[in-house]
Amino acid sequence: MVLVRDMPAVGRGFIERLEPPDIKNFYWTKPSPKNIRKVAVISTAAVSKRGDRPFSWLARDHRVIGKNDRDLVMTHVAVEYDRTAWQLDLNTILPLDRLNEMAKDNEIGSVAEKHYTFMGAADPRDMEKSALEVSSEMKKEAVDTVFLVPV
Amino acid sequence: MCGLAHIFESQGFSTVLVGFVKEHIEIIKPPRALWLNFPMGRPLGKPNNQEFQKKVIRTAFDLLEKISGPVLDDFSEIIPVREGRMSYALPVSLVYKVNQLGNIDKLAERVQRELSNLLPDYFKALQYLGRTTVGASELEISDFVPYISEFAKGNKPKSPRKGLPAIPLLKLVVEDLNAVYTETRIYKDKIDDFEMLGKWFWEETHAGKLLLAVEAVSLESDDQVLRQIASMSLLTPRFWSEGPLPGISGSGWT
Repeated sequence: MVLVRDMPAVGRGFIERLEPPDIKNFYWTKPSPKNIRKVAVISTAAVSKRGDRPFSWLARDHRVIGKNDRDLVMTHVAVEYDRTAWQLDLNTILPLDRLNEMAKDNEIGSVAEKHYTFMGAADPRDMEKSALEVSSEMKKEAVDTVFLVPV
Repeated sequence: MCGLAHIFESQGFSTVLVGFVKEHIEIIKPPRALWLNFPMGRPLGKPNNQEFQKKVIRTAFDLLEKISGPVLDDFSEIIPVREGRMSYALPVSLVYKVNQLGNIDKLAERVQRELSNLLPDYFKALQYLGRTTVGASELEISDFVPYISEFAKGNKPKSPRKGLPAIPLLKLVVEDLNAVYTETRIYKDKIDDFEMLGKWFWEETHAGKLLLAVEAVSLESDDQVLRQIASMSLLTPRFWSEGPLPGISGSGWT
């Protein structure tokens, strides 16, 4: 995305007014060696499995996407981003096939069975409870690396 | 997204993110971030380009080799956009007033004919791709136009979907209708051009005109939620406009 100063007026005004979260502590977790790395994707594209409950407009919760789920729909509140790319190829927003290929080629250790989506328009401070639930689930399947992908 | 990175890192995961808003990444300082100068909606860059997508992932994952942070790198390739906008935006001048709308029933009939003409190719696209993004509303495609048209006539129909009120459902139906059109066009003409697809759908089709009619009615509605989603451009694509948005003071946004 271009720098905020180069955006048209409406989007620029909106983004400039967003209040960033105040991060009190900085954490740094030493990564696992790449050949044993287990990767889960966290997406804020508000995609979910067909038939799942739609995200509400200020959703703080998350949905679970299985490693092999491809029949997904999107219920993101915002319409300011291009939706034709994911119509063409799901991997443009949720690169599960690419990660599976990289695991097969030993570029990473493995791909998690479960991946997680949030509704990116919500304030991250309000998503903390849900993020901690996701953390608990990821620990259960020994995920050590989180790849965060916006939309 | 940057805030989530801090939460997950605090829980013992190594995080790496790709992000669009560089200024926010610089302020929030997630442990490892790769800035993408791409249009929004395309965090892996190029649809159906496996090598480009893997290049984005590999470059992001290279940040996991850094021994300390926060670290922010720029991805080396740029996907250019038009006039700084991240997606298609309706022309500022293309705003209807309710008294300009004409006969909604006749417009709805034209949309139904237009949609019927597209459907054979839509189903071919579905067969070819093996998936569709249409269906968030869970309405049948044949019910899209009747449901939307009620709003264009100033009515608020009862939601046929249990647990989802009428206005949130309207938004999903609008997006489903849009997706039927664009998925069909993408398949039929083998194109990847969101500016062209946006201009076609919103400015050249009867469906686009029907949705602009819904916007016009919503902006003058007594229903606060309907007024709000229209004025915040949650029904129609005006976010990347030079504004002001229709129906509100420009000072709220610009």
